[in-house]
Amino acid sequence: MSNSVVPSSSSGGAPSSGVPPSYMPMALNMRLTGEDEQEVTLTGTLRPFVAEEMAQVRTSLEQAAKTAKGTLCVNLKRLKYMNNVAFLELNRFVRWVARTRPDLRIKFILSSVIPWAIRKFQVIAELYPAVSIEVYDKAFYPVQPVIEDDEFITVLRTQEKLIWAHEQEILPQHGLRPGLRVADICCGLGDFAILLQRDFRPEYLVGVDHSKPLLRYARQVVSDFGLENIEYQYGDAAALLLADNSFDFVSCRLSLQVFPEPDRIVHELVRITRPGGRVYITNEMLSSVVGYPQQEAIRKGYERFLEVCRHGGVDLDMGPKAREVLANGGLEDVKISQINVTNTNSDAHDLARVVELWIRVAWQFGAAAGANPEMHKDIETGLRAHIDTILSDRGYAVWPIIAASGRKPFRTT
Amino acid sequence: MSIVKTVSPAPPQEAEASPIRLGMIVSARFSVSGFARQWAHCHLLANYLGRYVSANEGDPERHATMLSTFVNELLEIVYRNHAGDGQIELTFRKKNGRVLLQATVPISESQRMFYRMAVQLVGQPDLKTWYRARLEDPAEGEDTMLGLLELVAVYGCNVAMTENAGESRVTLSLHLPEFDDMGEV
Ligand SMILES: C[S@@+](CC[C@H](N)C(=O)[O-])C[C@H]1O[C@@H](n2cnc3c(N)ncnc32)[C@H](O)[C@@H]1O
Repeated sequence: MSNSVVPSSSSGGAPSSGVPPSYMPMALNMRLTGEDEQEVTLTGTLRPFVAEEMAQVRTSLEQAAKTAKGTLCVNLKRLKYMNNVAFLELNRFVRWVARTRPDLRIKFILSSVIPWAIRKFQVIAELYPAVSIEVYDKAFYPVQPVIEDDEFITVLRTQEKLIWAHEQEILPQHGLRPGLRVADICCGLGDFAILLQRDFRPEYLVGVDHSKPLLRYARQVVSDFGLENIEYQYGDAAALLLADNSFDFVSCRLSLQVFPEPDRIVHELVRITRPGGRVYITNEMLSSVVGYPQQEAIRKGYERFLEVCRHGGVDLDMGPKAREVLANGGLEDVKISQINVTNTNSDAHDLARVVELWIRVAWQFGAAAGANPEMHKDIETGLRAHIDTILSDRGYAVWPIIAASGRKPFRTT
Repeated sequence: MSIVKTVSPAPPQEAEASPIRLGMIVSARFSVSGFARQWAHCHLLANYLGRYVSANEGDPERHATMLSTFVNELLEIVYRNHAGDGQIELTFRKKNGRVLLQATVPISESQRMFYRMAVQLVGQPDLKTWYRARLEDPAEGEDTMLGLLELVAVYGCNVAMTENAGESRVTLSLHLPEFDDMGEV
């Protein structure tokens, strides 16, 4: 049969019109990740015409395999496209390892965002005992289960409603106006998208989140409202599938603070923004929560709460760092606004419900971080005291949020 | 990136019977010589058409990524197996929630054998086992074939071929599996 295949992908032959230029905008990266682990990363597109075009990849993999101890990780989490020619070469590499380095384990690191990847590599993992796959993003956001439960969804909506009344007023200062192409990264329930649609009429809006239940909800709302120009996408903020320079306004609201490496997310936000467009972020500033009376207990409660969250990689005091984070991302003309949701300028009961939720989050994080009972007590006491001040006729309470934006320069230096 | 949210059926080009046009999403016709000029055409066409066909899906981007994977594999096979001239026609339809891609390709006699062989292999009872055995112990010159077989064995596509006597072309039908609202099969 090989004669009838003109040319075969493994023959190295070319069609009579000459060797077609390859199409492999791909990056290869190797690094030692630990004593017992070495990692080779492939990103972009791997759609070679013939196996020979994979020579560099094969050589790098083989070199890594020769020196690796324990496990060699082949990281494909940002490889968006791969054809069969490339896949068969990886398969040949695995067979080569099985023969020459029977003691070495190979782990393919995949992302649940790339829809073809898991099935494809499962076959290889089942074939060779030394091969395993790891879906890296399955469990990388510790509070995800909390966020997806019904009660939290209600609170997220409440939170959104509370903030919107203030945010609506500052958004034009951050460059939002009708007719823009907007991306909302970590969009959650998508309420922001609907509100934007109503008040700012974007030309097109895409919301990206890593939670399927939240996205299902968001999509339902869009279809209930019959909106045509909003699209939702399951994705990872740290490795977006959206094109470079494709949006006028990119928002990431109350979410940078949940990532241990916010700079990586900002890099992605900047990448998808067009030159001259703006990246807009909001983050909480819980070290400056105000509550009177019971100031001391409230202050202590939030301090402890912040500590516990930091253990879980979440920084709920990220707000003041916004200027630095945006500047590090290469943005210019950075603007900062402070949103103060208070028990006098907003619905106090809604605000109290948000704080109730933090108490629950604290328990979740606390359990994960092995926090001692003393800490829990301080948090619970402080946050309950805050709720009292929020609901009291004479108390005053503030929930501070920092909104910030920066412009992507036309020319990067 | 421009998004078409509502894809209206393409207007009938010829006086074709209406049931054939049923569920039509998009069709593309291009010359073999133009297509064969660049390998990148497979990738670019697969992505463009994949995105177009996915415009109304729950998660258009993921749906398009998945579709591109399937369409690209078929186009790569066509790229390697077509006659020197003539026209290629691709038609995407949606039937009962599943996308059907039909590719009509001008072929030589040896290429006819290739496609017949491929469809025959795809039809064998324990394709998955056969496919795995081939990964463990690859045979010379089979790589192109494996690309098509993987679509069936691993992703649950169906492949069929129609050929009319005396005609130097085949129509390959790639029935894609059902996708969920997140663009997963
Ligand atoms: C605190 S919520 C904020 C949601 C929304 N922006 C708002 O203001 O209500 C954080 C969101 O980030 C999402 N998320 C977590 N990790 C993510 C990731 N890697 N990529 C995209 N979204 C992620 C969660 O699913 C959740 O919806």
